[in-house]
Amino acid sequence: MTANATIGVDIGGTFTDVVCRRPGEATRIVKIPSTPDDPARAVIQAADHIAAQWGVTAAEIARFAHGTTVATNAVIERAGATIGLLATKGFRDTLEIGRQMRQNMYGLILEPETPIFLAPGAYRREVRERISASGEVIEALNEADVIAAVDALVADGIEALAVCLLFSFVNPAHEKRIKQLVNERHPQLDISLSCEVDPAFREYERTVVTAFDAYIKPTIDSYLGALEVNLREAGLATPLLIMQSRGGLAASVVARQRPVRLFLSGPAAGVIGGQMTGVADGIHDLITVDVGGTSCDIALISAAKPIIRAEGAIAGYPVRVPMVDVNAIGAGGGSIAWIDAAGGIRVGPQSAGAQPGPACYGQGGEDATVTDASLILGYLNPDYFAGGGQKLSIERARAAVAAKLAGPLGLSVEAAALGIHRVVNAQMSEGIKLVSIRQGLDPRDFCLLPLGGAGALHACALAAELAIARILVPRHPGVLSAAGLLCATVQHEISAAFNRPMTNLAVAAVSSELDGLDRRCDALMDAEGIAPAAREIQYFADVCYIGQSYHLEIPLDMASADPLGDLYRDFMAVHDRVYGHAAPTPARIVNLRSVHQEAAGAQDEPPPPPAGGEARKGGRKIIVPECSGPVDAVVYERAALAAGSIVEGPAIIEQEDTTILIAPGWRGQTTASGALLLESIQP
Amino acid sequence: MTDDLASLDPITVEVIRNKLDGIANEMESTLVRSSFSPIVKEGLDASASLFTMRGEALAQAIAIPIHLATLIPIVRTMLDKYPPDIMIEGDIYIMNDPYCGGTHLPDIALVMPIFHNGWPVAMAAAMTHHQDVGGMSPGSVPTNATEIYQEGIRIPPLKFRDGNVMNDTLIDMLKLNVRIPETFMGDLNAQLAACSVGGRRIAELAARYGDNYLTAVFEELLDRSETMTRHAIEAIPDGVYSYVDYLDNDGIELDKEIEIHAAVTVRGSNIHIDFAGTSPQVKGPFNCVRSGSLAAAYFALRAVTDPTIPTNGGCFRPVTLDLPEGSLLCPRDGAPVNARTSTIKRVASCILGALRRALPDRLPADNGGEMLLLAFGGQRPGGANYVVGEMIASGSGASAARDGVDMIETDCTNCMNLPVEAMEMDAPIRILRSELRRDSGGPGMHRGGLGLRREYEILDGDVVLTYRGERHRRPALGADGGGAGATARGVITRRDGTVEEIPSKCVTLLQAGDRLLIETAGGGGYGDPAGRSQAARRLDVLNRKTSAAANMTSAAANMKGNDDAV
Repeated sequence: MTANATIGVDIGGTFTDVVCRRPGEATRIVKIPSTPDDPARAVIQAADHIAAQWGVTAAEIARFAHGTTVATNAVIERAGATIGLLATKGFRDTLEIGRQMRQNMYGLILEPETPIFLAPGAYRREVRERISASGEVIEALNEADVIAAVDALVADGIEALAVCLLFSFVNPAHEKRIKQLVNERHPQLDISLSCEVDPAFREYERTVVTAFDAYIKPTIDSYLGALEVNLREAGLATPLLIMQSRGGLAASVVARQRPVRLFLSGPAAGVIGGQMTGVADGIHDLITVDVGGTSCDIALISAAKPIIRAEGAIAGYPVRVPMVDVNAIGAGGGSIAWIDAAGGIRVGPQSAGAQPGPACYGQGGEDATVTDASLILGYLNPDYFAGGGQKLSIERARAAVAAKLAGPLGLSVEAAALGIHRVVNAQMSEGIKLVSIRQGLDPRDFCLLPLGGAGALHACALAAELAIARILVPRHPGVLSAAGLLCATVQHEISAAFNRPMTNLAVAAVSSELDGLDRRCDALMDAEGIAPAAREIQYFADVCYIGQSYHLEIPLDMASADPLGDLYRDFMAVHDRVYGHAAPTPARIVNLRSVHQEAAGAQDEPPPPPAGGEARKGGRKIIVPECSGPVDAVVYERAALAAGSIVEGPAIIEQEDTTILIAPGWRGQTTASGALLLESIQP
Repeated sequence: MTDDLASLDPITVEVIRNKLDGIANEMESTLVRSSFSPIVKEGLDASASLFTMRGEALAQAIAIPIHLATLIPIVRTMLDKYPPDIMIEGDIYIMNDPYCGGTHLPDIALVMPIFHNGWPVAMAAAMTHHQDVGGMSPGSVPTNATEIYQEGIRIPPLKFRDGNVMNDTLIDMLKLNVRIPETFMGDLNAQLAACSVGGRRIAELAARYGDNYLTAVFEELLDRSETMTRHAIEAIPDGVYSYVDYLDNDGIELDKEIEIHAAVTVRGSNIHIDFAGTSPQVKGPFNCVRSGSLAAAYFALRAVTDPTIPTNGGCFRPVTLDLPEGSLLCPRDGAPVNARTSTIKRVASCILGALRRALPDRLPADNGGEMLLLAFGGQRPGGANYVVGEMIASGSGASAARDGVDMIETDCTNCMNLPVEAMEMDAPIRILRSELRRDSGGPGMHRGGLGLRREYEILDGDVVLTYRGERHRRPALGADGGGAGATARGVITRRDGTVEEIPSKCVTLLQAGDRLLIETAGGGGYGDPAGRSQAARRLDVLNRKTSAAANMTSAAANMKGNDDAV
């Protein structure tokens, strides 16, 4: 028996999604209720399900990849470790002072904007030392200070220590010496050094990301450590792989060393799933739209690569780690429709969430939500939602829309429901437009890729608003994050501050710095057991014009005849795209980055065609904005649609993880890879 | 959809409202993205708006509240000079003159009428704080200006583009009067691009819905926001509420305090604010023309009403202002105005202070409300010139709900500080410490937010220091029995040990070895200090918010005033 099955397990707030693929077999999916009190339990249940229901034994699993929200949840629930923070004398309040801006511009009663909870004043201590901007030691590290401070912090009960000294990204000697000293004295204490976590300038941002790393390290360590043991005991012979925020996998044992890279584990997997879906059908420019319960997550894939941002935000705090650029807007299936004090209809930002959920869930929700509207409009099948796992009550949906909206507005229930859709679609399309425009990209040049349980219900309306002509619906949009885990590759990335003007910069200076980064990446890839021949190396430079304080990440091709000339030219092109202009004035390399990636294997052979059977399973009346009254829509079963099948709107395609609405004026065709490509056939 | 006004259905109205917000955001994004100046890109000192043909704001995208509604007087001026019947498709109007409705000279506005079927249906406007508009000092914000002519070039309402013909005469004239013409034109072009985006998208809406229908929706949206705002104002108890606060001085007459009086009358669904009693206009650049007080008033209104009300001109209909002629807030033509930001912040805090008397549970004690502006200009060892500047916040006021926040931007401004590492990389200056200023928060049941203590040492050469502080003389007051926050300080210690106290504003020469210590103001406390819990006191000491000595003092008060707190 060969180990040839790949498994992806993505833990979300409500469901844990499991996807299993084996050559020559149809992809299998299942949704298991998540177990927030002990997330690992759902993973173990998934492994049991894989063995018991699908007959795939642990020994047959060649790859087991996991996307996790444990890191983010530890922050949201403030459930991380008690940590201490060491800083340069005179600067121990950096974490608390922050950048002094507020997010709530019109709030009168303000809340702190900085993550003080990571290390309140009593847990922040300072040591005498000073390094200058050019890296020279102005004041030697006072080791007695270090020992006294750490002893006191340990006595106060810290479980991990973060260290962020001024200019440690230029000269890390003092931070490294602190680690030695602490290791000798308190070998059990986890330490995160800022020169290792995020060696780049701006002390507040560096302090925050280093403190987050220390804060979640014990939590992540115990979660992943236990999971590794459990899976090994269940017979899994392959190392557990974890998705990182940048969209690459890492062995769990390696990922545990730098947990701050795991915040966007789940969403990154979804974007990679979208990227892979597009690549399989030769579509390289995509806008992915994940319509969830409370929000809608938007990401861009340009030239078959997800757009990466150098700094993101977690729970409202800056986290300077490269991550896929996922933008959330506050509109989703659970968004509540309401009437304002002037009698106008509004949708969101309040959401019914998962509890009580939309009125049609019958869990006590009385507000009218987008999902209730979808049911009233005939888009959803009340007996086949989430694979039949959630029965929907059309009566409750109608009652909520009648009471909260239709009655007060003097509209029919159907007109009010259609109104909810039109308003939420206007919000989402404006959100998508803004996300792409901020990147200097025109949404009309992209293909829309809906995912999540509800993305495919809104796709035609959003595409029409955005003048997008094509929509690509993945085979399993409702579990695309888990599916993305199947095809993602192992990736490690190391950056270092470089901070040199590009004028007269020698290529040798860059390559010697990159050599050092490569050695560190190699060590990580060696630890993953990936043969050197099976690795791809990419370099990036963060570049800005001299005088600017923000930078752009630009690919750096060291094999070219003039690597730095190309870098400068590409920097100007990206600057022009993103900021609308570019001048041939001096620029500076801020950071260098090496990314080592497992070469993508040969494309999986396409899944076998469906077993056949009748794809068309009936019809129902639906209400769409394009037509004045209810229209007849043919209803299809996705699993039975053969490759090349053509479906014309108005139509509904049902499958266990989502429902697809094909609006009038759109035609869909299943592709060889199993996706569904919708094209506008309007003149 | 056609011009069938009977079908002004609520859903289409809401769809169009979302699109208008989207269009304003797209304009703002275009403006910021394509601007050249750091002050726009990093300080986000630019805004974009859509207006009706009657000059009411339809939608606006702003990153800092000081821009709230500041385009309104400008658009009114433009409409007076270029009424719709003489507008030509392609026209773009320009102005910056504070005495024609502008703000201060660096803020230049472009306004573009949007045509559909040969008739203007709306206007797109974009305002940018330009890096330099000429005048006596680079950057065009001289703290020692005594007349507007020293502050830069004044642009009355003029055509920037006449139909489709650019006004090259004006452009040549402007370029010759600013220090960095390429940046200046780059930023103007970004404004033009933002207006064009707004124009294109509004024209699309007009084509889809019909221009009569669209303008009817505009009126409906304004009426709705007015209704909702009036509804929220009615919830504020009727009465006349007054407050007085002060600016330290005008930078010229250093011993002369400047008073700001606000009397806020709430009657039914209307708010009237009378500034009678405010100091006469000042010699220095702290005068503030009408647009500034409007921004402060609208900020306060927006903050105390329902945040879900869509912001447009309808929200502003219930508000009227009375600004005494010849006063700080309505200076006569010719007075310098560039440092108006400090004044707007204090006007906002006055209005909020007055409203606190009506809504004591909802408004905090006075904010530190200081935005200390520092600029260091000198030469690097190699001979190249440098200027580094920063804006430093203070503590926010405590409230019935909680302690104030340490070191945070409040009211009409929202700027980032400069990282220590950024400054040391840019200039031969070392920062010796940067820490929360213990004991600076006003005592109270809830403590005021702390200010900052930061110390700089000049490492090399001569450096011109510009220091523009506030709250050196008058502290942020507490509320409901809470104490005042600490006043701000600035101290120069010369290399020879001589100590000089900075009187709130100064321009002086520093030399290698000289040190500057700044301490920004604390926020006011809320409630009787005796009511502060033992647990909170303990944490204050543990987390170094208050010293043990200060804690003892208020603990004694606690023992005396609150027997059951043990």
